[in-house]
Amino acid sequence: MQTIMNEQNSVPAIEVEHLTVSYGPTPALLDVSFSIEAGQLVGVIGPNGSGKSTLIKSILGFQKADFGKVKIFGESADKAIGKVAYVPQRGAVDWDFPITVLEVAMMGRYGQLSWWRDPSKKDRQIAMNALEMVRMTDFAHRQIGQLSGGQQQRVFMARAMAQGAEILLLDEPFAGVDAATERAILDVLYRTKVSGKTLVVVHHDLATAAEYFDQLILLKQRLYGIGTPQAVLHPELLSEVYEGKLKSFQDLIPDETEKQAQRRKISQTEQSTKSASGRHRDDTVGPRLSADQLRPMGGEA
Amino acid sequence: MNEWIYLTFAEPLTHVYFQKALLGGSLIAAVCGVIGCFVILRRMAFLGDALSHAMLAGISSGYLFMQLVFGIRAHAGSMLIGAVIAAVVTVGLVGFVSRVSRLKEDTSIGIMYTGVFAAGGVLVSLFADQIHIDLLHFFMGNVLAVADTDLWVAAIVCSSVLSLILLFFRPLQLTTFDPLMAASIGIPIVAVDYLLTICTSFVVVSGVSMVGVVLVVGLLITPAASAYLLCDRLSRMLVLAGVFGVTSVLGGLYLAQWINVAGGSAIVLFCTVQFLGVLAVAPRYGLLAEWLRIRNRVPQQTVEKVLRALLREQEQSIHVTAQQVQELVDAPGEEVRKALKQMHKKELVETEEQNVRLTAEGLHEARRILRAHRLWETYLDHVGMPSNELHSHAEILQHVHDEDAVDYLDSKLGHPLYDPHGSEIPEDFVHLVPGNEVKLSLLREGYWATVQHLPELLEVQPLQIGMRFRVGPRQENPPQWTLQLSEEQEIVLDRKQADAIRVRVEESDQSTPAPSSEKES
Repeated sequence: MQTIMNEQNSVPAIEVEHLTVSYGPTPALLDVSFSIEAGQLVGVIGPNGSGKSTLIKSILGFQKADFGKVKIFGESADKAIGKVAYVPQRGAVDWDFPITVLEVAMMGRYGQLSWWRDPSKKDRQIAMNALEMVRMTDFAHRQIGQLSGGQQQRVFMARAMAQGAEILLLDEPFAGVDAATERAILDVLYRTKVSGKTLVVVHHDLATAAEYFDQLILLKQRLYGIGTPQAVLHPELLSEVYEGKLKSFQDLIPDETEKQAQRRKISQTEQSTKSASGRHRDDTVGPRLSADQLRPMGGEA
Repeated sequence: MNEWIYLTFAEPLTHVYFQKALLGGSLIAAVCGVIGCFVILRRMAFLGDALSHAMLAGISSGYLFMQLVFGIRAHAGSMLIGAVIAAVVTVGLVGFVSRVSRLKEDTSIGIMYTGVFAAGGVLVSLFADQIHIDLLHFFMGNVLAVADTDLWVAAIVCSSVLSLILLFFRPLQLTTFDPLMAASIGIPIVAVDYLLTICTSFVVVSGVSMVGVVLVVGLLITPAASAYLLCDRLSRMLVLAGVFGVTSVLGGLYLAQWINVAGGSAIVLFCTVQFLGVLAVAPRYGLLAEWLRIRNRVPQQTVEKVLRALLREQEQSIHVTAQQVQELVDAPGEEVRKALKQMHKKELVETEEQNVRLTAEGLHEARRILRAHRLWETYLDHVGMPSNELHSHAEILQHVHDEDAVDYLDSKLGHPLYDPHGSEIPEDFVHLVPGNEVKLSLLREGYWATVQHLPELLEVQPLQIGMRFRVGPRQENPPQWTLQLSEEQEIVLDRKQADAIRVRVEESDQSTPAPSSEKES
């Protein structure tokens, strides 16, 4: 019994092995292998068309692979349907759709419902709790188009939580929101992580990538790097992936002390219960830069 | 009079053809409206058009098949099935063309449906002696000549499609709203798409015999569009679209009866007028609502003027009535009245025995605006604007009272205490809250604070992290901050130093240093 428990604990949340996907002669993903431990907040970065959304679809379990496989908690991804929740990009949603906030959250329960049965009181409660977690209960009966950008993002986070999924995939949650909203969304992400979920976030802004995520995946068809931000945001690696289109890579590497301070603040407010798996950062590599030096890069990208 | 009512409304109902038209039309229109909701939400309106036209090929093939193989003429069932097959084939071809080529879907719809329609036309003229299809009927429909078989078809289509929609409401809703999420929880989206297409085909095919091939599209999308303007929930939209479909048939048939015109045209015309009516008066998404919103919009500038006027009076403890506010503020009386109404709604002001006063929130807002106004005046003075123009320009610019913008001005101007007219600029009360960490330069005389962060290179001996001090009077030109570390020890900082040091704010011992910066609650 003990060994089985241990084995389950050590199974990575997401395991991708030699994944190759193509839509023609050029591969969208080529021989991508990595694994993500449970309880991590992982950013996926890479230039446009680097296969980020293909990777997302593969993890969701409905992208046919040419070769390789994706495992969710040790199980093949197409069998693990429902364990991974997807939070769409804001631009991909029809905000005029006649649907209320609560109804969107309730959609998270659809996977568990038999198609002939109405949602029960319990489902309703789960949906309301999910809204509570992202502080959107007051807006439960609003049509989704009447919300601000950050609120809209939060509704879809709530839907993912109502799904009860262990893994959340977010497609560019920070696209087109202002700095304050970005903070608010980030706060929800951290809170979700602390509750033990694994989050994989497609992210565009390299300047904030190091600050926000535990681990980064640098992708451009092939896997160029995975690991701590210090390890991945390596100037040579970045210039290879972005073909020297970025002006200064040095500035991207964060000041470790500032980051740790921020982490402490969050764990203070959230009273982290899960501390075993996530915290493993004693690697203080990379040049020390002050907060002021990092900021100017952090503008709206 | 009674007789007139009888003749107008009841008499038509006594005719069997009218009863049949009403029954058949209502069934079809209701299901058209319901399925039309999905059609418009998926932006497939053009596909409805395509489906109805593609039928011609299906109907003639079905007719021909039964005629040549079994020798049965005009077999209704086979024509219906033929039509549905033609519709599904068209959808398949459309999907195929847009998948394999770079063409967008609307283009491939345009190509394929005209092609299939033309094939039907060729078939009809090629076998003109075998096929007796009334093309005019096909185009215009004849709702007033509904046969019993049509009624049966309508009833079966209506009940089965509505049951399917009821059963599969959630998958339909989810695949329409967010196909990716639907796929991720294992809903077979392609199957759902086909289910919807086949249902739409059945509905369109049975609608054509009533109102004809062109007008059936109107019945499909117009009631749904009307409902869309009125509803924020899909379930309600479906119900309402069905109701609008039925009312269109009802209104259209009476219209046809009274002025003796073609039934199909009258129905769709009524449906369109109904839509225009909804568009005009819909409470949230209608034109009237939009116009009222624009009309009732109060210029932000007026609201700001009212806030400042009320703040001014309140600080001198003068009570003002709504009437007096109108006199105090330099803006049209009507606008001020509206502004006050809006501010009441937002709970920025409250009325007490006819007197208007700011609420705690209103006071906060007013002080923010006053601060923005005076900082803007100082800024304009700083960039060289003649002093007689300062006020009017600041009046316009004060609407830029976003926190970041105001902080920028404040810090660019070196955290001034007074504006060019000598009035005190309210302190940065948004940040100066006990317990907050702020730049030392924000502090004014009377504040107590503890040093939190001290850049190493700054030579400000004996100041150290953790040291508590009281802020003394500020010197201007050049600005200098005095810190009282103890009874006898004082140090003076310049602006650069004061900006670099961060401190934790405590209470101020000067509760009301000047009239314009009274402490908030």
